Amino acid sequence: MGWLPWSSGAEPNKASDGGRIAPDRTSRKRCWEGRDLFFACLDRNDILDGIKDDKEARRKCAKEVEEFEAACSATWVKYFKEKRVMEYNRDQTIARIKKEDAATVQELKSQGRSTN
Amino acid sequence: MSSSLRMAGLLGQATRAIAVPESSQSHRLLPLLRTTSRSQCRAYSQAQRPRCNQNIKSALELRNNFSTSASYARAKTMGQLKQRNSTGPFSWKAALLFVLTGAGMMIYFRVEKARLERKRIAEMSKGVGKPKVGGPFTLKDLDGKEFTAEDLKGKYSFVYFGFTHCPDICPDELDKMAEIIDKVREVTKDDKLFLPVFITCDPARDSPEVLREYLKEFHPGIIGLTGTYEQVKNVCKQYRVYFSTPRDVKAGEDYLVDHSIYFYLMDPDNDFVECIGRQDTPESASKVILEHINDWKREGKPLKLE
Repeated sequence: MGWLPWSSGAEPNKASDGGRIAPDRTSRKRCWEGRDLFFACLDRNDILDGIKDDKEARRKCAKEVEEFEAACSATWVKYFKEKRVMEYNRDQTIARIKKEDAATVQELKSQGRSTN
Repeated sequence: MSSSLRMAGLLGQATRAIAVPESSQSHRLLPLLRTTSRSQCRAYSQAQRPRCNQNIKSALELRNNFSTSASYARAKTMGQLKQRNSTGPFSWKAALLFVLTGAGMMIYFRVEKARLERKRIAEMSKGVGKPKVGGPFTLKDLDGKEFTAEDLKGKYSFVYFGFTHCPDICPDELDKMAEIIDKVREVTKDDKLFLPVFITCDPARDSPEVLREYLKEFHPGIIGLTGTYEQVKNVCKQYRVYFSTPRDVKAGEDYLVDHSIYFYLMDPDNDFVECIGRQDTPESASKVILEHINDWKREGKPLKLE
């Protein structure tokens, strides 16, 4: 996939003692920037799930997805896309619970008033 | 009437300090009765009278320089007694003393309560006999030397599990760890007391060389540990860390490792003290850690700082 500048050859990210060199601070930053640009594009096009709606995302955000995938490893790309959906659902749930709580409080208050 | 006349005469003798015209009996009587109307001298026996008179005299003198501040000295005169009676035991000095004592006690109890609460948490975490989190393990440090749980003893250790190919959470948390290390060491002024440790969950990819390069970017003081698959699996089990690293990884295969994202603060007995999680800021975390370190020091428990 060639996701890092020094990873184009055969296992060039292999450390001399057999380990696999991880992305450093600079490449992490580049990956996160690519991710943020891609997600901003998805937001503009009302796409939530970059995996499920892969085709549409690739069509509408062709440049962004290319840069994102070039800057991050495939597992990271998948991870961030899944995380975006997960976080969206989480925020929706929190918002829903808050709304329900507020409604319950309102209802209890009005009940309290009518009985008094 | 005869008794009051007698008393008036008596008072007349004693109160020469105030100029009383000696012209008529009634003239002499009235002001004196006014000033001493509440005096209890009437009940005194003959033997006590001279002292009583003395008291009244002083009382009359005192009327001229009356002040609201009660004297702490033993009341010497009737007037002082009366004055104390009128204000009770209260004065601004007494009130100040009361407020200061109260505030002092309140601060003391708050501090003690917080300390005992932390102690309770620390004791609770120790459990009975076997600690719930942490335990013996054998790993390798980045120089290839054996590193066991014994090497953590005598210091407060701050243990984090992660892997270098971690997309976003580990780097964030390690940046936080670096800030915490600096904050704690700034206060303790001792590099040996607080031992930050990073244990990889991904020994297949995280060799000492990889780990060293990775940790260097965060803080040079972090001790990186790795080991065989079995050793890492064991230490994760000891620390109750969820371990999902695939056993047989093909060369070049890319994967993520799920792992717990808590820092574990372990005391010098290597017993688990507290969790620091995502919700903690470097400030709140270092505060908690320093409180535990101070408690430990204050209780005079042993530390190994060589």
